[in-house]
Amino acid sequence: MKRVDVAIVGGGLVGCATAWRLSTAGASVELIEAADINAGASGQNAGSLHFQIERRFLENGDALAEQASSIVALSRIAVEDWRGLETALNADLHVSMAGGLMVAETADHVALLERKATREQREGLKVRTIDGDAARAIAPYLSASVLAANHSADEGHADPRTVTPALAAAARAAGATIRTHSAVHAIGRRAGGGFTIAGNGFSLHADQVLIAAGAWTAALCTLANLHMPLYPVALLMNATERTAPMVPHLVQHVGRRLSLKQTHAGNLLIGGGWPSRLAQLPGGGFDLSRRATMIPDSLSGNLRAAIDVVPAISRLNLIRSWTGVTAISADQLPIVGQVPRMPGLWIAAGGSAFTLGPTFARLVASAMAGGPSEALDIVSPARFEHLNGFMG
Amino acid sequence: MADILDVAIVGGGPAGQAAALHLAGRGLDIAVIDEQPRPGGQILRQPPASFTVPGWLAGRGYARLKHQLARFEALDDIRWLGGCSVLDLAPTMDGLSLLAATPGGISRIRARHVLVATGCQDLAVPLPGWTLPGVMSAGGIQAFVKSQRFIPGERILLAGTHPLQLIVAEQVVRAGGEVAAILFAQPRAGMIATAMRHPLIALRRAPDLAAAASAMATLRRAGVPVRFGAPLHAISGMDRVTGAVTGMGEIACDTVGLCYGFVPQSALPRMAGARMHKAGPAGGWACAHDHWLRSSVVGLSVAGEALGVAGAAAAAAGGAIAGIGIARDLGLFAPEQAERMARPHRHAFDTHRAFAAMLDSIADPTGHLPRPDAETLLCRCEDVSFETICGAIEQGGSANAIKLATRCGMGACQGRNCEPALLRLLGDVGRGDDPGFTARFPARPVAIGDLAESG
Repeated sequence: MKRVDVAIVGGGLVGCATAWRLSTAGASVELIEAADINAGASGQNAGSLHFQIERRFLENGDALAEQASSIVALSRIAVEDWRGLETALNADLHVSMAGGLMVAETADHVALLERKATREQREGLKVRTIDGDAARAIAPYLSASVLAANHSADEGHADPRTVTPALAAAARAAGATIRTHSAVHAIGRRAGGGFTIAGNGFSLHADQVLIAAGAWTAALCTLANLHMPLYPVALLMNATERTAPMVPHLVQHVGRRLSLKQTHAGNLLIGGGWPSRLAQLPGGGFDLSRRATMIPDSLSGNLRAAIDVVPAISRLNLIRSWTGVTAISADQLPIVGQVPRMPGLWIAAGGSAFTLGPTFARLVASAMAGGPSEALDIVSPARFEHLNGFMG
Repeated sequence: MADILDVAIVGGGPAGQAAALHLAGRGLDIAVIDEQPRPGGQILRQPPASFTVPGWLAGRGYARLKHQLARFEALDDIRWLGGCSVLDLAPTMDGLSLLAATPGGISRIRARHVLVATGCQDLAVPLPGWTLPGVMSAGGIQAFVKSQRFIPGERILLAGTHPLQLIVAEQVVRAGGEVAAILFAQPRAGMIATAMRHPLIALRRAPDLAAAASAMATLRRAGVPVRFGAPLHAISGMDRVTGAVTGMGEIACDTVGLCYGFVPQSALPRMAGARMHKAGPAGGWACAHDHWLRSSVVGLSVAGEALGVAGAAAAAAGGAIAGIGIARDLGLFAPEQAERMARPHRHAFDTHRAFAAMLDSIADPTGHLPRPDAETLLCRCEDVSFETICGAIEQGGSANAIKLATRCGMGACQGRNCEPALLRLLGDVGRGDDPGFTARFPARPVAIGDLAESG
């Protein structure tokens, strides 16, 4: 039977980037993907490079916001990873880091911004709070309703269509094997260490396994008899027709669901966490193999938030709306690292994995080879070990 | 408008009219939705209401359709929603929900039954020079001539494989225009042999063959050359069309009409999740259906070209069957009664579809399509070249993966134009079972300001 150092399940950004890092370091790697490379959230997300604390961490009270603010430490590292990625891969990924603005339209939102900036500054992230006029001086496209903004000079966006394929190409060039259209059906522990991974028409032995399969990660963990508290979420995104350059920044909203940017090609992408409805299985449960359906209020609400912040969007045509399916964890923070009760089994999933993906991959690859892993402590699956007291 | 309509018919062409005529007068809430302000469909494309077009579609072939149109326009219990584009179609608990861009803004329409009768469009054919101003689909030229007697060129070359180009050329000539030539890529012998293999089918549609023969006679009198085995290779010109490179040498012209066949407008049934199958040899997707033209989605029926392109007569027959079927499902007709009413239409439907199948083999563009060169744009919304797409195909992905990798199909047309060409290329390398692009909202581009909730 074929034997590799590491088997990676999932051909998204994290899987491909980890395959690239590991094979560059000399490990033998086989990456197994059920569909095409980049077919899931890695290719379907809107490409934000957001380093400020996300609005979703702020909307459920101070306790959760406090816990989530620890992720800023990883965001700081991610800034550097993104700055070096195009050079390291020798590929044009349309990385633009012209800055990002998180705006506020009410006094309550302004207070939220200020508390957020305090947390971020405490964690060492360069963010400043500016008033509406200062924001419009940087970003003249912003509406008069913007009262204040947090400005991060490092934020921006990259092209989700090209990042993961470039990582996959680099992994292949470094010697990794990439197997697409191959679903994994079994993950078994071997006596004496290591794992057997099997699917349609293949099986192999691996010393270590990384499951980085987005919304499918929890189901794959059940193959290893593990609970992983990851829940699929379906998020709406919208693209306008291409237009002349008008929004060089990443624009987010601290009090409403909105993220907005203009792609290299000229389309404005509008998202920000508006839900679509996941397909359901007849006996209950979600069916990730079928398309999610759009919720009309999500569409109209998302577009309203966009127009309120950037009025010029109103006259542009919408040409495409789509839904990407990702996963969020029980405490909203990503789950990245080794499962304590199953040495050699690693997980990387749970959202924010476009912005933080290259960093997760670099840290996991290094930790798999015995390097330090302290930077991943805040996202380690160890915090859910209690759920697996009867598993494994 | 009722909170929920009994029936929404999308498309006011022959199929939609026929269905409406069978459903009207029975106390139902019915709306007919169409992108054009006036009913008729492409086949009877009406001039704007403020225009007078003398002798509008005077030909004998249009008489029956015009009679049906007049009966449809006389209905007083059908709501006509002209100038409305349906953007979305989705199943709900008690029927289907449509989102429409209307002249008064965005409107959500709910209906227990929806009939999609959205017709077809010309197959887009990428070849060197096809993005030059002056290159049109034959159907596009015909739309101008039919509705406004406007001839969109001084000297028009028609090229392709579909006999409709004879009819278009005749209409151009009768409207006073000049046709440089009509080029059929396939040899005449093959076309005749195909027709001869199905003499009975051909005989039942003798008037259509007579129309083609009469068109040929008109064209001959006008001195328009009709050539067979004469492929179009490239279209030349700097800022606009000045000529075409063909199997007959270079032909000077300022307009080229491409006529290689038609593909169903399949966006709405695909968005609703209906089971589809490959349409005719020109490509595209047709909606799978049962005996009453019901799709795999509960409450969604289809008629006309959405079932596979078969022409106006088949569309009218199919519209009648679908209309009777919907009335039956609504409990207005007993099953035996419905079956009895549908019988003559089923006979017509089968006859016309058999003729369409024969026409499909005569007009089959397979093996006769012009070859793009490396720089030819396959996706003209997003400027994606043939070379780029071939490179992506070599990577082994699905149509959706190629779309993501290259932007092919990501533009304003949502892949309506490039998808058949891409699927043909995938078929050429043994990946003919590709399910095509995932249908995305909206079916037509729409202003963001119209879709946003009111501020």
